[in-house]
Order: sequence, then C-alpha cells, then structure tokens
Amino acid sequence: MVSGSLRNAALVTLVAAFSAFAQQSSPPSAQDAAVAASPTPASIPEAPVTTATVVAAVPEIPAPVGNAAEGKLRVYTCTGCHGIPGYRNVYPSYHVPKIFGQSPQYVVTALMEYRNGTRKHPTMQAQGESLSDQDIADIAAYLASARSP
Amino acid sequence: MTSLSKMLLALAFSALANTTVAAPKGNAAAGAIAAKPCAACHGPTGDESLDAQYPKLAGQYPDYLLRSLQEYQSGRRDNAIMAGFVKDLSPQDLADLAAFYAAQDGSLKDLSHLK
Repeated sequence: MVSGSLRNAALVTLVAAFSAFAQQSSPPSAQDAAVAASPTPASIPEAPVTTATVVAAVPEIPAPVGNAAEGKLRVYTCTGCHGIPGYRNVYPSYHVPKIFGQSPQYVVTALMEYRNGTRKHPTMQAQGESLSDQDIADIAAYLASARSP
Repeated sequence: MTSLSKMLLALAFSALANTTVAAPKGNAAAGAIAAKPCAACHGPTGDESLDAQYPKLAGQYPDYLLRSLQEYQSGRRDNAIMAGFVKDLSPQDLADLAAFYAAQDGSLKDLSHLK
C-alpha cells in the first residue's frame, strides 16, 4: 500500500529527528551529577567514579506536581478552541472535545503525546511543543479541578 | 530534516487525512450493551473513570468519541489497551458506543466559563 509505506518512511524520519533532538537536549551528564553530589571536594577530579556510584548518584526525576492556579493562567490559550461551545475542528470536521473536568493523568499523557508527536494533530502538536512538564502538570491540575454541579 | 522527508511527511499526512468514511448513525441503546467491557476502566456511564489515566467519556461530543475510536482502530492513535478493545468492532459498534457515551450525564465541560 502506497500510503502505508509513505507513513512508515515518515515515521522513520520522525524517530530519527527525535532521537537526534533527545541527544542534543540531554540533561547534565551522569558524571556531572555524581561530582555535584559527591561529598569529596570537586577539586579532586582523580577520585575514581565507578559505574555503580554513577547510577546511584542519578536521582529518579519525579513528575512535577501540578498547580491549578498556574494552570488556569495557562489554559487561556486553549479557550480559543476549547472554550467555544460546539466549536468544530475544520478538516476533518468533528467537535473539539470538552476538556474541563477531564482526568488529570489522561490530560498529561495526551499533551505529552502531542508534544513528542505520538498523537497527531497539527494544532495540538504545536501547542504541546510550547509546554514544559510543569506547564502540562499545571494545566492537568486546573482541568481536573472542575466539579460537577 | 531533508526536503525529501518533509515531502514524505506531507504526503503521509494528506493520505491519512483523506481516509474519512461516512459513519453509520449511532444507536445509544445498542451502545449501552457494547459498552459493558468499557466499564471496567471508564465506569458504567463513562463519568466514573477508575483511575486518573482513563479519560471521562460521559457527555463528550459523539463525533469526537467516534473519531477517537476510529483512530484507535486504525492505529493512528497508538494505544495498546484501546487497540485491543476496538480491534473486532464494526463501524456500527463504534458509532453506537459514541452515541451511548455522548448521551450520558457527565461532568465534562468546555472552557467557555473563562471567556
């Protein structure tokens, strides 16, 4: 199928682009972290750093905790589409979903998937690219703060 | 990104976007029966998600729900759990499910209160 092979080619390109991006934007190296966390003065670079200590010195990065008040400011942009009752996606045509009151972890996953391109929607991918992990957590916290009447 | 890969991307997206097929009209009563397995995660009416990772569905727009189900089936939306559930459903089943959840009372709203 032509469209299938084109899609595969496109996916391969996407994966390559993202892996290149991920390498460029990787956080400070494990060795840096080990040195920073080490009780020995950084002026003794000869201190051997074993693989085991490097692994132990890299803390697991916890997911940010969402702040609903910050999220309320962030979702102002979203109202352009999600704030108009009955607003429709142009092509293909379907209603833009209701998102106020949506489950928070679902919102986080959706925005992260838009951001990394796994979930495809041009407008939402563009929005996702402008958001940090903290922004996404804040938005999810605000949307989840809705209560049924 | 090379211009060739940009062109391939554009072609791939336009090919995907053009695969819209007229969907059958949904029947909420039939959807209620088809929705029994969905309740394990989304709750009986789709408004009682059992975990914050599962979306609320009750009162959502039916055409958005239908599109989501179609995308899970086609793989455009990549979700292993949902792909398994929709794999063997007919276009009529998908339309019925969308009609059922859209007809339920739910807490989902748009953001018009912020405008």
